[in-house]
Amino acid sequence: MQGQATQIIHAYKQAPWRVQRQWIGAFLLVVIGGAMIAAIYLDVTARTAVAGREIQELRVEITTIQRENADLETRLADLTSTAVMQQRALTLGYRPVEPGELDYVAVPGFFKPEPEILLAAEDASPHVKIQPVEYTQSLLEWFDQRLKLGGTR
Amino acid sequence: MRQQYAVRSMIIIAGFVLVGLGVIVQMIRIQNSEEAMIFLSQGDRYAGEFQMFYPERGQIFDRNGHLLAGNRTVYEVGVSLIDMENPDGMAYILGSYLGLTYDEVYKKLTESPESWEYIVVQDYVGVETVEALKQLVEQLKDADDPRLSGLAFKPHLQRSYPENDLASNVLGFVTRDGRGYFGIEEKYNDLLAGNPVQIWVPRDPNKASEIPRVPNGTTLVLTINRDLQSKVESILDQALIDYGAQNGTILIMDPRDGEILAMAATPRMDLNSYDNYFSLYDNGSQYNRAIGMAYEPGSVLKVLTMAAALDAGTVRPETTFIDTGSIEVGGITIQNWNRDSWGQQNMVGCLQHSLNVCLAWISSQMGVQSFYGYMERFGLGHATGIDLAGEAIGRLKVPGDGDWYPVDLGTNAFGQGVSVTPLQMLMSVSAIANDGKMVTPHVLYSMLRDGHQYNVPSQYAGSPISAETAHTLNEMLAISLEQESSMALLPGYRLAGKTGTAQIPTDYGYDASHTNVSFVGWGPVDDPQFMVYIWLQTPTTSIWSSETAAPVFSQVAEQTVILLNIPPDVVRGQLTSQ
Repeated sequence: MQGQATQIIHAYKQAPWRVQRQWIGAFLLVVIGGAMIAAIYLDVTARTAVAGREIQELRVEITTIQRENADLETRLADLTSTAVMQQRALTLGYRPVEPGELDYVAVPGFFKPEPEILLAAEDASPHVKIQPVEYTQSLLEWFDQRLKLGGTR
Repeated sequence: MRQQYAVRSMIIIAGFVLVGLGVIVQMIRIQNSEEAMIFLSQGDRYAGEFQMFYPERGQIFDRNGHLLAGNRTVYEVGVSLIDMENPDGMAYILGSYLGLTYDEVYKKLTESPESWEYIVVQDYVGVETVEALKQLVEQLKDADDPRLSGLAFKPHLQRSYPENDLASNVLGFVTRDGRGYFGIEEKYNDLLAGNPVQIWVPRDPNKASEIPRVPNGTTLVLTINRDLQSKVESILDQALIDYGAQNGTILIMDPRDGEILAMAATPRMDLNSYDNYFSLYDNGSQYNRAIGMAYEPGSVLKVLTMAAALDAGTVRPETTFIDTGSIEVGGITIQNWNRDSWGQQNMVGCLQHSLNVCLAWISSQMGVQSFYGYMERFGLGHATGIDLAGEAIGRLKVPGDGDWYPVDLGTNAFGQGVSVTPLQMLMSVSAIANDGKMVTPHVLYSMLRDGHQYNVPSQYAGSPISAETAHTLNEMLAISLEQESSMALLPGYRLAGKTGTAQIPTDYGYDASHTNVSFVGWGPVDDPQFMVYIWLQTPTTSIWSSETAAPVFSQVAEQTVILLNIPPDVVRGQLTSQ
């Protein structure tokens, strides 16, 4: 009984189709591996392309918004120009103040604030890098950094 | 049988191998052929394009953050010739919307070179027109009407001035080629315009992040106070009507730091319609008379002569002078403005009655070297260095010049035979209002670029006189105004100042019937916070400054104290003591 089993295993091992299957298996493995790499590559490339296109579109959008901003700022200035405001004030029944009608009050600690345009500039911190490194670092740079950090986070 | 299959298999495999090899060989051949470089360059050409990125021109604000110069969206209206189907209909519609003739548009659409794919029909088209055209395009598209197929709109920015002609002489203007002319726009053109950048823009989305950011032009904040500027322009315009003057200028400066708070001049131009330039001005010097036109200022210059004499120790306030009505200098007789003699006067009286004879005597007493040395130190004959384009330099003749005569020592002392711009006079007199220190006038308060703020520091242009002399003369001029009961006075505020009436020089001598009237004044006397200079050209209702420029000064001072929150002297004293 045991001898028969040994014979079958022998015969199986020596069957010519088995060798062919091994070759086919190895070939298919290579093909599948290659296909997987190609698929991953295509996927990454496609994602990068989509991201790139989005960046391009966002840049156009930023330019458009900046232009619209500038335009709106100018339109707002049109609506609040001296001539328009004076006319509006007169229509609402106001009149220019006479020197004798003014009362002056000393407010301790009060100082005239700077115009908004200058306050905004002071608040801006040009030296602070606002873009995280993830957006500028290459994979190799990241890997190098990780190695230098010795695996610590 | 089995061997036969094997042979066939081998033949098929060999065939495939040969085809494969053939493909590879062909690939290598093509890659290395002479045409390969041509194909590569063609490929590169379509891989992207060079684009010029023009930064947004920097804005200009007044000192309180009101926009004086900004940017507005306008459109380039063009046609894609490839997509155009009906040039006839297109020409008819565009002609009526863009204010062009049918023939004009039709010629553009049909007679452009064959290689052209796109033509610009009109640029700088306003938003309203473009919105109307866009609506029409939609309507025609819905109705399958091809008349406007191929019509394209490209938005871009154009300089715009929300205040129209306000401070036009200070701002200057920008033409469609993006270049600034006059004033701030010309002086700071490079900063405002920024740096255009030509960039290779790849079509490959993977390279999209390679496009760098183009920073906007520098934004400028001026020292000008919009509300004060507006008031002063109104006062000036009214003064020209009231006194029948041809043109005029009013300047307001802070004597402590040289900040120009208002600079009004006539004529002014709506900066959004700069095409009117040639109908308003004969030459560039007329654009801003405050800095561009030099004239003989007359008696306002007596302030400088008196300052020099006091500082040199030639006279003191109580020095007496017997005015006989005339004095001979360099062999020429000089007379007073009314040809009268005023008898015994002290130096306050000489200023109060604006006596030419007295001032000519003073300069004679000082001597040529001392007098002209002081005038040089006051900056006469030199540019002030203001940060505006188009500044003129007046003329101070000095001994040694071919056209200087000894009589000039006498006439120069009361502002004749010497030419200055209104700004030069204001700068010189600032030494008297500012403890002897002369300030350099400037209109730029701050610059903003990429979130950085750069403030413009004040600069002193020397100390021609001592602080003590300045205080003494300050007091003398205040007393002379008060004693004269001048129309320049403002109730509640102690002011100092001096009138100036100057005959106009012609080729045949001085024209007594036409004058330039001026006034320089400041206040409050104990703590000068504003200086005003007024120049009215050839007033017709009166030739005298005391009746024309002086009341204008009072009006300007009244508006200045209101808008700058300067309380009356009594109130200020109470507030300070609290």
